[in-house]
This record gives sequence, C-alpha cells and structure tokens, in this order.
Amino acid sequence: MSHPLDPIFRPKSVAVVGASNAPEKYGYIILKNILDAGFAGSVYPVNPKATEILGRPCTKSVADLPPGVDLAVIIIPAKAVPQAVADCGQRGMQAAIIISGGFAESGEEGAALQRDVVAAARRSGVRVVGPNCQGVNNPHHGLCASWPLLTLKGDIAVISQSGTVGAALMDWASQEQLGCSAFVSMGNRSDVDETDLIDYFAQDPHTRAIAAYLEGVKELTRFREVVSRCRKPIVILKSGRTLEGRRAAESHTRSLAGRDELYTALFRQLRIHRADTLQDLYDAAKALAYLPRPRGRRVVTITSSGGSGILATDWAEWSGLTIAPLPAHVADSLRAILPPHCIVANPLDLTGDANAVLYRQVADATAPHFDYQIIIFGDPILQASDVPTPGSPQLVIFLGGADVERQERVRMHQKKVPVFPTPERGIRALARLYAFDEGGP
Amino acid sequence: MTTHPPAASGRWLPEPEALRLLATYDLPVIPHRLARSAEEAAAAAQELGCPVAMKIVAPDILHKTDIGGVMLNIPTPEAAGASFTTLYHRLTPHPSRLTIDSILVARMAAPGTEVILGMLRDSQFGPAVMAGLGGIFVELYQDVAFRLPPLTPAGARAMLLELKAAPLLTGYRGQPPRDLDALATCACAVGRIAAEHPEIHEMDLNPVLAYERGCVIVDAKILVR
Repeated sequence: MSHPLDPIFRPKSVAVVGASNAPEKYGYIILKNILDAGFAGSVYPVNPKATEILGRPCTKSVADLPPGVDLAVIIIPAKAVPQAVADCGQRGMQAAIIISGGFAESGEEGAALQRDVVAAARRSGVRVVGPNCQGVNNPHHGLCASWPLLTLKGDIAVISQSGTVGAALMDWASQEQLGCSAFVSMGNRSDVDETDLIDYFAQDPHTRAIAAYLEGVKELTRFREVVSRCRKPIVILKSGRTLEGRRAAESHTRSLAGRDELYTALFRQLRIHRADTLQDLYDAAKALAYLPRPRGRRVVTITSSGGSGILATDWAEWSGLTIAPLPAHVADSLRAILPPHCIVANPLDLTGDANAVLYRQVADATAPHFDYQIIIFGDPILQASDVPTPGSPQLVIFLGGADVERQERVRMHQKKVPVFPTPERGIRALARLYAFDEGGP
Repeated sequence: MTTHPPAASGRWLPEPEALRLLATYDLPVIPHRLARSAEEAAAAAQELGCPVAMKIVAPDILHKTDIGGVMLNIPTPEAAGASFTTLYHRLTPHPSRLTIDSILVARMAAPGTEVILGMLRDSQFGPAVMAGLGGIFVELYQDVAFRLPPLTPAGARAMLLELKAAPLLTGYRGQPPRDLDALATCACAVGRIAAEHPEIHEMDLNPVLAYERGCVIVDAKILVR
C-alpha cells in the first residue's frame, strides 16, 4: 500500500456493518452493490440477528470477523457507531465509511456523537469517511460501497460534500459511457476531507482530472500545500456563494471582501478551475480529463451546420480563441476535392452533403495549420466516430443527430474522445485548457 | 458635524503614522510634513512645493472631508498659513481633538488613474490583499480582485489585470498605459506588511494614483487591534 487512503479505495476485503435483508435499507443496497459491482475480495455482512444476507453467511459482530479485513462500511444507528469504530480498530481495520446520519448535521447531541467517533478512530488508527455520507465507489477496484450501482471505469475522480450532487456527476459520466475513476461522498468530513482526497487522487494512476463539489474548504493551510503539489487539473463547484456576503464596514476593503471573493482568489492562485453550475462542473471535468492540451489558440471549425458554426465562432471569440483564415493553398486543395457548394472558409461548412469521409479529409488537410480543430457534427453523420483521431487536439460537438448521434457519441467516448452537446458547452469546456496561460498565481 | 465611531474593535492609526509605516516598506507615499502652527504650515508648503493639500490629523475623525477637515489645491505658502488657521478654527468646537495632533501638509499629487489597494484579515482565510480601480468602479461595480499572501509580482499583476476596468491601466482609447509593475510592487509590499504585522487588521490605500511611470499613495487608513 502506497497511500494512507488505500484501505478506503483498494481494500482487500470489506465488512458491511449493519447489513440487512430488507431491500429498502441501505444495509441491503450497499451490500448488494458491492457484490454486483464484482468486488474481487471477501465481503462480510455483519448483523447480530441474521444468519445469511444475499447468500452470504452473516457475522454476529465486528469482534467476530476474521483478522485482516481492512475496510468497514457502517450503516447502523448513530448511537452505536462510536463503539463500532472502536471495535473495527480493535480488529485491525484501517478504514471505515460511515453512511449513518444523525451526527453533526442534526444538532448538538449528534455533534457530540461525531466527536466520539473521531476520538475512537484516532485512538485505533482508523481513517473515517463520513459520517452522514453516500459512500465510496471505485470502479477500477470493483468497489461500489455506495449507491446507485455504477461500475464504468473512467478518468474523472468525483469528490462531493453532497452525495446526490456527486452521484449525479458519476451518473452522467456513466450514462455517456465515459465513466469515473472514483466517487467519494464526504458527508460531514469528520476525518477524511477534500484535501486528503486530492492528495490521494493526485497519485492515483486512473485519475486524470479531479472534480469536486464543496460548500467550503475545511483546512485552508493544508489544502493550499496539497493542491500546489497536485499536478492534475482540479475543477470545483463551490456553493453557498451568496450566503456569506459582504458586510458594511468602515474600510472599503472589508466591505468588498465576501467569502466568495476570497475563494475566487484562492482558486486562481492554486490554478483550480471554478465551475459556476453543476453542468459546468461536469463539462469542465470532461474536458480536463479527456482533451489533449493545446499548443496555441488558433482554431478551425469544421461543421455541417452553418448555424452551429456561427455559434461556435461567437463562443470561440468570447473565449479568446483565434479563428484564423485557412491558408490559401489549403483552401485551394480542399476546393478541388469538396462538392462545389461547401463553404471553404473558417468555419468550414460541409453543408448537408457532409459525410464522415469528407470530414476526415478536411480534418487531415487542416490539422497541420491549426492548434485545435472544432469538429461539429450537425446532422445524423454515419460513422462520425471514425473522424476524430484519439489523442489529437480536436474538440467534438454533436447535435441534431438523433439516434445516430447517440450511437456515435458512445463510440467516441469508448475511444476516450469526449463529445459535447452544444457549441457553447464544448467551447466553454475547451477554454478551460487555456485558463491559466496568462498571469502568475 | 459627523464623526465615525471608533471601529468595532481596534483603532485607526493616525495618518502620519500610517504613512510612516508604509514608507518603511518603500511604498511611495505622498511627500508630506506635519505643521503645528500657521508658520510651520507655510514653511512646509514652501519646502514641499505648491500647490499643497492640508488635512486635520485626528484619529477619531476618519472621514475628514465630512467635517471640512481637508483643503485641496492651496496655491502658495501664505495661503497654507491661512488655511492652517481656517482648519484650526473648524475644530475649535472640539479643541480636545487638536491637543496632540496636528495638520498634515502634503504635496498635491498630479492627476493619475485612481487605484485602491487594501488588505483585510478573514477569520478563515487569514490576510487577503485587494486591488480595485478607484472612483465609481469600486463603488458601483464592486470591481475588485483579491490575492492571498504571499504575493508574487506576477500574481499581483494578474490581480490587477483581472479587474474589469483593467484597460484603464493597460491603455484605453489612446491613453498611455499605467505603471503596472509599480502597482504590483505596492501590492506585494501590502502582502508583506500583512505577514509581518499581525496587529494590522485592515488597510485601505485609497487612492493610489498610477502614472505612466510610478505611482503615489495619497491617503492611507490602517486599522490595528
């Protein structure tokens, strides 16, 4: 094991403490998801009243577990959790994911229980995710200690202070056949927080970009240290932007400094991309994980839809990209091979006659003269997935293609070529790659 | 006559003290002298070169213009002497305010682009340095940018260029560009002051006038606690 959080993400075996036979309970759902996701290690349901759950023999208590189990997923009433964590430590377990609620989020009594959990964990050397969380999903390890059941392996790590928000991202990525490298719902962050997780994903070989939903950074000093060391792109959707507003004060500086302005400064200095919406978070993560880094800002748009080409031009201009004219000799040679009504310019409009072969010819002819190609499929272009070359600087946008579009998008995603649904979303996502070109931190 | 109550906790440094502190960090403060009589005011004006501005120095009168405590564009040393008397009499209803303090005579700064640089401490973030463009841009559009120390010159430049009104600094409609490096150096120094003076809680350098070459701090407020 090379990282302190490995027992959370890559356990050899898992105990589900509070496993249940009742299909509506998380103790059932999580055990079932762990089994259905194809976890390769041993899985131990723990429940004092059951003998068997989902065909697995049940262990009465944590103390009765065989030695060597490294992760516990805990789904029992809050009051019993501190003792369960202490028992896990006694049994030599290194990590616990506490799904149960009823802790700091629910008032003073719960906050006291959470302090007990932390104390028990510290004493026994158990790292804790949660409590009050939606668990951990690591498809690259076949570990879905979470819900919903999602198993598709991808390159984006999702860290979320909200279970639903993070699960939504992973759901979208799975539905699009891109997948995620991991999903962690942090819940109340009693121990493991976003900084620990960024530190983990910075060294995780499956993660190429980190996407986080945060209501606030827990420990700023450590966050700054860890993020400055992280070489992978990070995008954060920070909510609560209007809650901690400016206040009246005698100095201008004080009256103008809301927390949100300070987060903006922090993120810029650490070269963290800031997302404004959940969709923006998803698009940015997709671009940062899957689009190759640009050499420069000169772009060419290849489209079958005039309107989409103009929209793309607008967004490219607003994003600081350069729509440079086609070199004359390239334009001449393209006119020789393209149908006469194609508009050989930038955007290059193949019009209604477009097909994958023409796209490919145009892409090959223009590639040496531009830093990035914006390829817009604006019709049901058959075999569109044959056009882009995986790993080359090409932004693919597909719209108006109905069933063909849905099929070809999946094919491209399986080749790790990201496809965006509108010129606006695609180009805004592409612009992320240029965000920190200018100016120092 | 309106005066501001003391800040909720802490006190504002008298302006000469604030300017002195800034000067020790090589910040370009406006040349100034303190005068305790009409004769000293005239001599200061002579030495600094006219026109001069004169301001009452009194820690609990933060917004000096509210009580007519600031006079600008005083053309001659003689007028400076007369202005001392005028300002003194404006304060006579509250003579206690003049017991220890004096009147600040400062050279009138040449017109330049108005910039505000500031610093505050946040309970979570610690110190933060702010830049904005003065006048309506800060007031109306709240066009400001922040950096958390330590600041690098490149980071300070990026903070200034992040302002929506940054073209006013980089050369708008044929205006000459302003000295971004000089402003960035000031912002870095503000960051250093924040790090080295934990007792300083808030700071406004407003305005800082930016020129083609260099900049000058005309007014400074520093809150200590």
